[in-house]
Amino acid sequence: MKGLFKSKPRTPAEIVRLTRDLLVQFDMDTIRESKRDEKMVELSKHIRELKCILYGNSESEPVAEACMQLTQEFFKENTLRLVINCIPKLNLEARKDATQIVANLQRQQVQCRLVASDYLERNIDLMDILMTGYENTDMSLHYGSMLRECIRHQVVAKYVLESEHLKKFFEFIQLPNFDIAADAAATFKELLTRHKSTVAEFLSKNYDWFFAEYNSKLLESSNYITRRQAVKLLGDMLLDRSNAATMTKYVSSRDNLRILMNLLRESSKTIQIEAFHVFKLFAANQNKPADITNILVANKSKLLRLLGELKTDKEDEQFDADKAQVMQEIASLEPKELA
Amino acid sequence: MAQEYPLDPKWYEIIGEIGSGVSAMVYKAKCLKISAPNSSSIVAIKSIDLDQSRADLESIRLETKTMSLLSHPNILRAHCSFTVGRRLWVVMPFMSSGSLQSIISSNFSSGLPEPCIAVVLKETLKALSYLHDQGHVHRDVKAGNILVGYDGVVKLGDFGVSAPVYDINFDSRLKEIAGTPYWMAPEVIHSHNGYGFKADIWSFGITALELAHGRPPLSHLPPSKSLLFKITKRFRFSDYDNESSDNTRKHNTRKFSKAFKDMVGLCLHQDPTKRPTADKLLKHVFFKNSKSCDFLVKNLLVGLPSVEERFKMSNYNSNNNKMIRVSNSSLGSSSYNSSTTTPTIEEDETGVFEKQRRVSGWNFNFDGFQMEPVYPLGLGQGHPDGSKRVRFRAELVIPNKRVDLDVFSSSSASPSPAFSTPTEEQEAVVRVEEDPYLDPDPDPEGEEGVVDRGSVMCGLVALRGSLDDQRKNVKELISFLGGEQSLGGETKEEQMVDVVERLRGELEQERRKNKELLMELEFLKVIVSGGPQDD
Repeated sequence: MKGLFKSKPRTPAEIVRLTRDLLVQFDMDTIRESKRDEKMVELSKHIRELKCILYGNSESEPVAEACMQLTQEFFKENTLRLVINCIPKLNLEARKDATQIVANLQRQQVQCRLVASDYLERNIDLMDILMTGYENTDMSLHYGSMLRECIRHQVVAKYVLESEHLKKFFEFIQLPNFDIAADAAATFKELLTRHKSTVAEFLSKNYDWFFAEYNSKLLESSNYITRRQAVKLLGDMLLDRSNAATMTKYVSSRDNLRILMNLLRESSKTIQIEAFHVFKLFAANQNKPADITNILVANKSKLLRLLGELKTDKEDEQFDADKAQVMQEIASLEPKELA
Repeated sequence: MAQEYPLDPKWYEIIGEIGSGVSAMVYKAKCLKISAPNSSSIVAIKSIDLDQSRADLESIRLETKTMSLLSHPNILRAHCSFTVGRRLWVVMPFMSSGSLQSIISSNFSSGLPEPCIAVVLKETLKALSYLHDQGHVHRDVKAGNILVGYDGVVKLGDFGVSAPVYDINFDSRLKEIAGTPYWMAPEVIHSHNGYGFKADIWSFGITALELAHGRPPLSHLPPSKSLLFKITKRFRFSDYDNESSDNTRKHNTRKFSKAFKDMVGLCLHQDPTKRPTADKLLKHVFFKNSKSCDFLVKNLLVGLPSVEERFKMSNYNSNNNKMIRVSNSSLGSSSYNSSTTTPTIEEDETGVFEKQRRVSGWNFNFDGFQMEPVYPLGLGQGHPDGSKRVRFRAELVIPNKRVDLDVFSSSSASPSPAFSTPTEEQEAVVRVEEDPYLDPDPDPEGEEGVVDRGSVMCGLVALRGSLDDQRKNVKELISFLGGEQSLGGETKEEQMVDVVERLRGELEQERRKNKELLMELEFLKVIVSGGPQDD
């Protein structure tokens, strides 16, 4: 109760320093067992205070100046690393607060600069720690949220995309625990859609292995959710103008066409509709290779019947127009001599 | 975690069905991996059809994530969740006494004893206080989402609005409007700034009434009507008065303590800012000497049929109700929830409309312990009721073009302070219109019985005209008197009424079109099925 009558409230920078001191002690494990609980309570309290400064509370909105001071002090030293290291030692409430703080700090600017981005560029190995979250049920949702916030920065996204970590996502997305799998899928999607130029460069450099994995592990997965999310994301990627080169390459492969035609035949309507958005690119391609044309011709009547029956739940003019165009294109196709 | 629940359906043995909705089912099941002979091997599994569910994967992800990051003794937390084919299984602790809504409808149809209410509400409030502290709004507080364990432990469940848990009596399609109409706070319906914490407090107050009377206010009306009524605020109603008179007397003779009434009154303040926070409510005198969970075991749970039995019963009942509803609507009369109350309601509505009084808001009737309407002072006499009725019967050509909804743009320049933007208003109304139970027949003078659709349309168009006139009159009157204080919200309501009427008209037209198409389809079917026989 001694804190109740304190005359001067602490400044944001002071709270950051107090938090950091405690984090150091927990990180180094230098606290005597008898003092541990007490210090943990104190640490949780400070973390809560930091969150209140950044987010405000029921009585007050956050103050820009206070947020700025907090951010500056936070990144002046290695506080973020300490927070990430100590997350497993915190209780659930403090973990959630800390996660929210880390998320918020990614957007805070000091003198028009995203200080978090500069910090992470120098401490990019922190992403390796955050990635381990998906292998640990208790940490996954906290580390996962932090990771997704960090890849808002282009440098960070580029690092994760080009690291070995990316390959692991093909496994994480299919983990049996829905919370973790869904979180990994959200991060994967963010990585492959947020920073256009980085993604375009990545896809064209890594086309072969990436789409081999993508097709076999995700689009042909036995897991409904995986297929559904993968075909949706594939559409998002290929329909993005910045990925035009990748798209052209993708729709010229008969293997890819076969996979998409199988997805088009799924009993799940949601998957069918998403598959259509990719399939239409094969049909609409004006420079179709002969083998693609011939597959479409060979399956002409089946495809036309299937597409004719495919309807969205809600009226969707764009879909109907696309469908009519694709059907017309397929109907008018003639077999081509293989080169 | 001491007990890991397996992420594979083969470890769960389904015992029985305990809840169902459009895209979700709830089962009681046994976890075969948890071998100890303790109760936690029995679980509830909510199985959501992801292909049918309206919610997208992202919102389902956020919902289950939120759920697994909450930790409070009064909040139902999932053990784990995993996909099984197209379905998502959410494994939760099995609350063997089920929801309060089902307890009430099974054993306490006219409400719970007050000491039980106090225990239930206090535990619920602890959950709300924690949620709000965490920055979450529950959005769907009601007896159907308050669950009781065999040991009298009370937990708030069904976080999120994608599918119901244990909530068996209400159509989950309604949940598309995030929340269930009877319990929704006025500001949630009126504007779409989103839910605040205080909207939960309102729903909590309605839940208190639900526990006290056995059902929420207005529940004799189909859900969408409750919404409409709150939006338009123009009909007189006092929910529990509309019961057949025997029931009413029984309700009214029940005595509730002053503390209870005062607590509920605070929650149901029209102005959200004046409603207390969950923390503050916990300190209210009503909860001061509230009993323990054991008290519930002895007074609430004794002689209660099992959750499975109750589910079977309610399924049976609701099927019956559905049949009645269908037959009602196919006869062209209005479709109400329950056949027994229908005559009373219609009579009442008719009578009420004769009075033609506007209601400016809802007050909580302290002594009657009910929600009651507020009539604006002094304006009653000024209403040109007579002329309205004449106009109402006037023949007008039905406009077959949709009238532009942009009525707000002109009036948004008016000094009315509590104005929300046109799009929000439209959205609010459109949402109502989507409701499958929307009764398109507002026929206010239904004493003649069945009225054909054409004349209803005429009536609506005329009503719209008269409302416009009325608004003009009132505006003039206000500017003449130079006072604007009491009418801040009214212009807005009038707009709402306007749009609601217009949308009703549109809906009506759509329905007619639909009917025609169905006829055509029938016709074609006959032709098709007749064809081969001829050959």
